[in-house]
Amino acid sequence: MLEILIVIFGLSLVWASVTNMLGTIIKILVVQGIILFGITVLKTTQFNWLSFVTIALETLIFKAVLIPWFINDTIKHNHMRREVEASVSNFFSLALMSLIFILSFALAAAAPAWSVKVFPLEFGIAFATILKGVFIIIANKKLITQLMGYLIMENGIFMLSLSAGSDLPYIVSLGVSLDIMLSVLIAVLFIKRIRSTFDDDDAPEILREDI
Amino acid sequence: MSAVLLFAFPILAIVLCLVSNSRRKIDILVVLHALLHSGLGLCAYIKRGSLMGMDDLGLFNFLILSVIYAAVAFYRLGHKDSSTLKNYRVHSIFLMIFVMAMDGAAMAKDLGLIWIFVEATTISSALLISYSNSKRSLEAAWKYLFICSVGIALAFAGILLLVIAQPEHATLLIAKIDLSTISPFWLKISFVFILIGFGTKMGLAPLHFWMPDAYSEAPAPILALLSGALLNIAFIPILRVDKLMRQSGMGDLVQELYLLLGILSVFTAAVFMLKTKDFKRLLAYSSIENMGLIMIAFGMGGMAYYAGYMHIVGHSLIKAAFFLTAGNALTIYNDKNYDNTGGLLQINRGSAWLWLISSAMLIGLPPSPLFTSKFLIAISLLKNGSYLYFGLLMLLLAVISWAIFNAGLKICLGDSERKKSLNVWLYLAPAGLLFIAALIGIFLPVMN
Repeated sequence: MLEILIVIFGLSLVWASVTNMLGTIIKILVVQGIILFGITVLKTTQFNWLSFVTIALETLIFKAVLIPWFINDTIKHNHMRREVEASVSNFFSLALMSLIFILSFALAAAAPAWSVKVFPLEFGIAFATILKGVFIIIANKKLITQLMGYLIMENGIFMLSLSAGSDLPYIVSLGVSLDIMLSVLIAVLFIKRIRSTFDDDDAPEILREDI
Repeated sequence: MSAVLLFAFPILAIVLCLVSNSRRKIDILVVLHALLHSGLGLCAYIKRGSLMGMDDLGLFNFLILSVIYAAVAFYRLGHKDSSTLKNYRVHSIFLMIFVMAMDGAAMAKDLGLIWIFVEATTISSALLISYSNSKRSLEAAWKYLFICSVGIALAFAGILLLVIAQPEHATLLIAKIDLSTISPFWLKISFVFILIGFGTKMGLAPLHFWMPDAYSEAPAPILALLSGALLNIAFIPILRVDKLMRQSGMGDLVQELYLLLGILSVFTAAVFMLKTKDFKRLLAYSSIENMGLIMIAFGMGGMAYYAGYMHIVGHSLIKAAFFLTAGNALTIYNDKNYDNTGGLLQINRGSAWLWLISSAMLIGLPPSPLFTSKFLIAISLLKNGSYLYFGLLMLLLAVISWAIFNAGLKICLGDSERKKSLNVWLYLAPAGLLFIAALIGIFLPVMN
């Protein structure tokens, strides 16, 4: 079951490479959030209410519901075009995604003396997700699409923390939570502040600006 | 006790700021925080290890921050802006939080904790950059927050890889990492991620995009802290992992990466400094250049390593003074385009001299500490037989020096009927920083 979820997560990256619609990327973020929740629950060996609530909050509430809803709302509110408007074609994006997969799994395979705590499949997909997020940020001019690239990258980092095993130093677990908080802050507070600072005519222009 | 004081006082000051009803009282609280910071820094220097066992690298950065924060706190006494009391209060509160976050990053020895504190500096300083709430400042702050967050996320991936690199009992306490069992393969990849991640925060090319915009919009006192202290703080985690790399016999890779990023940063800065007319952007590119020089110094190793530290301290003090002086110029002209300025020597002699001295010291004329550091970097390049790097670097430094002096002469020379006087603190704060930089340049600690 765990492997199936990880593979579906990997397929969501391929889906992100061939879509031209912002709405589809939002759906991908929702799917990834739910899968991350599933992976975390499946990997839990000892049930603990507090950690269950924290994980549910981080993955289901923030990653799968709140942030995608907010991005969708921002797109609607600012009457933004629904296309991704990437600088590269879908073919190029897909070819690069394949290369990213090859690189990530080659890295996983080349690693000497694999520690028992690391899952190669999980690591490969996590690493590919981080690189895919960076690629979306670089290859897109639209601020909102770059934000989605950042969120995909954050999902990759979350997965990387899962692949690193359960005996992580406490500070790393704290860092994972803080990283999610930062992505929430960026996604929600800052854009909200920009929106509230300018009138309706200005706001879409700012949100469409190249970065 | 001193560590408690270091964090408890600003928290108390923040509470007092919230109930304070005048700018003067808020300013005094910030000055008291800055003085306490300097006092504790001095005590920690005299009695090593007294401030939460801070090591030399942490103390070095803590002391630089102390000096610049003190100058900034006094500069604010004379700096007037049109913001409301509420905005000023929020600004001052975030200023203290920003300094606390930098203190934490300087003192922490756990890489995870350093990461958390560096992340805190990003959030607090983004709010400081967007202080004026104008469209441009919000865009600049957004760009800063976004690009640095991407960088910091990559650094976090690097930290996770460092955990993976340790097969047993993973820790992020640098001193406790067991180098005999660590996987060099993962350590290498981890270092690359950490270098790119925190390098973004340092403003190293090609990840420097946020810097010119953020520096162009942020208020002068914040710029002094951003350029003088924060860039060094972002370098701390790189240096800490650098130590692990060198001890694991991978120093060559570290040096090659530093040299590559360093020369690329100096090159990028030189190209853009020729194009820009905005004097705050010009200084931003100069920061990129100096971060590049620091990377080259650490990349060369040997005596250039010493030059690297010398360059950090020299650049921090001089650039902070320069940004404060640029704040004076902006108050006088209300325009950042230096083609629209001129005659500063007649309008405000004090600021004009500060500008010219800052320019001279920034390009490395004696008694600037940057003279020694650049000289040692050049010698190291020649000694190592890196003639191509040497030639390229000298050419780029000549271009950069020309750009800085060209702007300085356009601003300071020319005729003007106008006279404008400024509060005395607006001269004393940058002058103090330049004076300390000159003292360091003259009485250099003898190199071993």
